[in-house]
Amino acid sequence: MSLGDELRYLRAFHGGGNLGEIEEEIGIEPGTLRYMEQRYRLVGEDDEVLAKIAAYYGVAPAELQYHRERYRKALSAYLHQSMEQKTTARFELRTGETVTGRVHWWDLGAFGLEPEDGGSLTVVQRHAVLNWPMGNEE
Amino acid sequence: MPDDLQTLRKRKRMSINQLASKSGISIATLIQYEKGAQEIPHADLSRLARALYVDEWDINPRSTPPPPPARKERLAKPSPPPRPKEKEKEKPKKKKIPPTSPPARETQIAHLLNLAAHFDIDRAALEEQIGKSLDELTRKEARHWNGHFMRRMAEEKPRRPIDRKRAYLPEGVDGFELAYLQEQQEAAAPLHFTLFDGQTFEGTVVGFSPYQIIIREPGGDEITLNKLAIAYYRKRGGDE
Repeated sequence: MSLGDELRYLRAFHGGGNLGEIEEEIGIEPGTLRYMEQRYRLVGEDDEVLAKIAAYYGVAPAELQYHRERYRKALSAYLHQSMEQKTTARFELRTGETVTGRVHWWDLGAFGLEPEDGGSLTVVQRHAVLNWPMGNEE
Repeated sequence: MPDDLQTLRKRKRMSINQLASKSGISIATLIQYEKGAQEIPHADLSRLARALYVDEWDINPRSTPPPPPARKERLAKPSPPPRPKEKEKEKPKKKKIPPTSPPARETQIAHLLNLAAHFDIDRAALEEQIGKSLDELTRKEARHWNGHFMRRMAEEKPRRPIDRKRAYLPEGVDGFELAYLQEQQEAAAPLHFTLFDGQTFEGTVVGFSPYQIIIREPGGDEITLNKLAIAYYRKRGGDE
């Protein structure tokens, strides 16, 4: 799950407050949080800012750093590569389950995973993906 | 983090004149914004964002003012050579040297090779046709040869059928999932949904939007599932 998705969840769990007000309360530049929540590319490189946000939401900074590395474009790249190369893709979901299969299609919100045993297509919501093989993990 | 207006403008290779005409904001005002002398009001921020094809939050409303120009240190200049006498001073009139074209860009060479490949001409044959090595080609010559091959291509019919693939830029759309749901709705196929909290639901799709899926359970009840709460779903009877 990307940092943007995680931050949106955290905001929702904390009452879904107004971004501007939260930024003011945290003491960060206006627009920072909005930018982080909406971007598809790597965001949140400033550890100091990330630590302030983590403190506000009551989570460990390392947790946000973990999500920072799993930005949406990186997931897109993995999905695209798996689909093009017809390789088996593996995803750890927030539910604690791991799903595997061949990526049949993917888009902004979800992706279709074909199990290798020929079962039904599973439509996985992108925001449910916690982790996937990154870099040389594959 | 948002960037200063000038940084963004330069990144977009836009002159201040172009930005002024695209945004409808005067050059003088733009200069004030770029210098950080004036904060960009919200109305202008959105006009600039549209003109630069960026989001509003990509633009720093108050640009960082440029640092004051550093004072030039007076360096002890070496004393100029003694002035030549009047006769020596007479210099021959400079002849205008025609400007020489710089060496061709790598991208031009790559493009040229691609174009030549279309006519089954490899590098060696191309160099023979041009009469020199591609490494010695000037920018002007490269432009000429690229134009030559492009004209040839335009004149000829495509030699091989173009293997068009569907444009694969789904980042801006969620069409695949909606198409899948449409298919399942038309087939009245029962789907099995698993939510983040472990709850499961089963039913046929009766409607959907980018944010919600409405299903009818076997008992006839209709339930609206918020897509943010869904982890995954599949057809009933799939591998579970």
